[in-house]
Amino acid sequence: MYVEKGVKKLAPIVEMKGIYKEFPNVVALNHVDFSLEKGEIHALIGENGAGKSTLMKILYGIYDQDEGTVKINGEEKNISDAREAMRLGIGMVHQEFMLAETMTVLENIILGFEPNKHKLLDYDKAYSEVMDYSEKYGFEIRPNSKVINISVGEAQRVEILKALYRGAEVLILDEPTAVLTPQETEELFKIIRSLKENGKTIIFISHKLDEVLEIADRITVMRKGNKVETLSQNDATKEKLAYLMVGREVFLDFEIEENEPGDRILEVKNLNVFGRRKLSNLKDVSFEIKEGEILGVAGIDGNGQTELVEALTGLRKVESGEIKIRGEEITNKSPLEIRHHGVSHIPEDRNKTGLCKELTIQENLIANKLPDDPYSSKIGIINFKRVKNFAEELIDKFDIRPPKTDVKMQNLSGGNAQKVIVAREVAEDAGLIIASQPTRGIDIGSIEFIRSVLLDERKAGKAVLLVSADLEEILSLSDRIIVMYEGEIQGTLDIEEANENNLGLMMTGGNPDFKGGVTA
Amino acid sequence: MNDKLRDFLYERQSLLNVFIAVFTAMIVGTLVIYFMGYDILESYEALYQGAFKGRFNFGGTLERFVPLLLSGLAFAVASKASIFNIGVEGQLYFGAITAAFFGYIIKGVPSLVHIPVTLLLAAAAGGLWAVIPGFLRAKYNVNEVTTTIMLNYVAIFFVGYIVNHPFKNPNVGVPQTPNVQPTARLPKIMLPSRANIGIFIALALLVFFIWLLNKTTFGYKVRAVGFNPFFTDYVGVKSKLIMVLTMFLSGAIGGVLGGVEVLGIHGYVLDNFSPGYGFDGIMVGLLARNNLKALPFVAFFLAALRSGAINMERFTGVPKEVIGVIEAVIILLAAAEVIVEIKKRKSSDKGGVEVG
Repeated sequence: MYVEKGVKKLAPIVEMKGIYKEFPNVVALNHVDFSLEKGEIHALIGENGAGKSTLMKILYGIYDQDEGTVKINGEEKNISDAREAMRLGIGMVHQEFMLAETMTVLENIILGFEPNKHKLLDYDKAYSEVMDYSEKYGFEIRPNSKVINISVGEAQRVEILKALYRGAEVLILDEPTAVLTPQETEELFKIIRSLKENGKTIIFISHKLDEVLEIADRITVMRKGNKVETLSQNDATKEKLAYLMVGREVFLDFEIEENEPGDRILEVKNLNVFGRRKLSNLKDVSFEIKEGEILGVAGIDGNGQTELVEALTGLRKVESGEIKIRGEEITNKSPLEIRHHGVSHIPEDRNKTGLCKELTIQENLIANKLPDDPYSSKIGIINFKRVKNFAEELIDKFDIRPPKTDVKMQNLSGGNAQKVIVAREVAEDAGLIIASQPTRGIDIGSIEFIRSVLLDERKAGKAVLLVSADLEEILSLSDRIIVMYEGEIQGTLDIEEANENNLGLMMTGGNPDFKGGVTA
Repeated sequence: MNDKLRDFLYERQSLLNVFIAVFTAMIVGTLVIYFMGYDILESYEALYQGAFKGRFNFGGTLERFVPLLLSGLAFAVASKASIFNIGVEGQLYFGAITAAFFGYIIKGVPSLVHIPVTLLLAAAAGGLWAVIPGFLRAKYNVNEVTTTIMLNYVAIFFVGYIVNHPFKNPNVGVPQTPNVQPTARLPKIMLPSRANIGIFIALALLVFFIWLLNKTTFGYKVRAVGFNPFFTDYVGVKSKLIMVLTMFLSGAIGGVLGGVEVLGIHGYVLDNFSPGYGFDGIMVGLLARNNLKALPFVAFFLAALRSGAINMERFTGVPKEVIGVIEAVIILLAAAEVIVEIKKRKSSDKGGVEVG
């Protein structure tokens, strides 16, 4: 059990000492100590790149440490792989779920640890065992549904059950709330508390301070590969944690100036698009954006936001409906033609779509200028001097580090890589900026910077379509908010009437008494 | 560490690995020679002399250098757009038969016109043949490895039909085309060997493609499409068109290779005349890591080995297949190393970038 101060302690269930880990480009962990008491909920917080996940992956056997020791229940262990970690009672729920989508929930849970009868799979036993667990900890699952058909919250519960089924005493949850609505987060917290009551030990990785303060007994803060401090929940405040995490004071609350929206820029009418999954088919989506306006698109990932952005930017075919920019039809035009109509795009997947990591900073910065070659001669010979000047200007303006034009993108941190993308798209001077998850997974300094860039663009009379899974981001930047649920617009709210609660409700298909169901 | 330095070391490292692969292969070859009971020093001396000593021997090396370089270049150019062109063999057959046809049919023009026109037509033929798998890949995502391999057979048998029937030289018993006009022949540069000005054509093409890929917007697009087609689609480049055009260029190099062989070496097309030049290019490209600047060194090294092997066999009795053993070991090591590198890159993607 977790023991309060002053009471004699057992050996910690997990004790990591002097852990050092280096990756080719970076020291990920610099002699980190971490200790976990049995029965506690221990939050591990820090920005992206602070080393939280790396530390936990070492504990879970995915990485080997270069230096340092790991003790489980007081005994030094060499955890060579995840199987070994499971044998020692350590389970991990990763940020991205590791489930076979076409198999059922039950099959996923028992995969690799199937109960046998006469060398055959004993489904009945597996079923009753799994149901026992789910009742004991108050889980709701449907063991015979296919994983592809269940919600994100349910998939996460399946992952937790899977770990418990494998005998986990220590459960590592890597950013479990990142993909959940506020309501689902509450559900998760109930489960976590019930696990604690049953003697399990939880490591809760997060960077959301409110949640950490709500759920954790103790909190360890990491910054840039170092452990900064471990404090008990009573000693922690939001301000103190933020300060420890970033190393300076942070201002994410922007003053938003009043701004009278101008002419209509984007008009979307009855848009129907086939999505990646059935739930993300767009059905009769209509809305509009005016100059000087930020329209937030809230919703749980996979409810059609990706498809909406792809349809607007020419990357996905529109089945029916109209998209107009300043009255001109752009439906099903090529990405290049749409760019020519004054639409720029910060894509949701930075590494897959937004940049080319093998190319240099300058090559990435001019990528959208090349299709029609303004930085080259008539026959297509690149004018490197002009390109370099242009790149240097942007690197300076957007504070991109390292400030060199010919460094390959793969050497940049996530925040700087994202700044390169934002710089390129904003420099296009388009009337409409479609920003999809513009600050996902980057450091707080870059988040601050990018958000202020978007606000500056709004001030300059640009229209911004801001798609984000981060409600805080939506609420702090938008003028209006549309909520997407199962490919439809569940409702539209003005910023004054929106809050986490009613947005969260609408994101899960609820219909609060605002302008629910009415499209803009 | 300084980022540029790291990129530089990274490239140096891969160069070093190539040397390790070659060195290991040479040791294996040496062991084979030793265990077969031959004198090692004597064998290597014969190998060296066969590759470099005298106009005939050195010319033989240069003669072998040209197809290795051109097919390596064809393979590497396609690889820049992330296309695996295994079809250089077929493309060179089309280039060869086209060159044989126009080399024969065009009459009464000076060499200065005849040679370039014939080679351009050969390039076009090879290029168009390569457009088929390029288009299938770009439009329908059909795996180009499969299509290019299969189209090789189509090309070889098609040319086989042409040289056996409609375009057979009636004065000769074997299936071959009539000799091309003397004005179409590439001048020899190192008699009595068969080395010819094809080597300058090959080197000029190499320089042209290095320039094209690095200094032009087209080259930039090719490289970007090769690295990340999602990215190029998103910024507004027509990735599919770029793929098809790149495949055309790659096939065109194959076509030139066929043309140079016909106009420079044989003067006609013989049924099944290529000993697998097109496939050699895969080895050259892999070993050079598709780095265009490394291609000539790799091609020259392999050409010297092959050219020397004949001399070695003649004077010391060491079968020239030993060189095949060495090449095989090089390929194994080079391929294995490419795999290791892909794995390494994947794991550092997971760990290095998104540590959180």
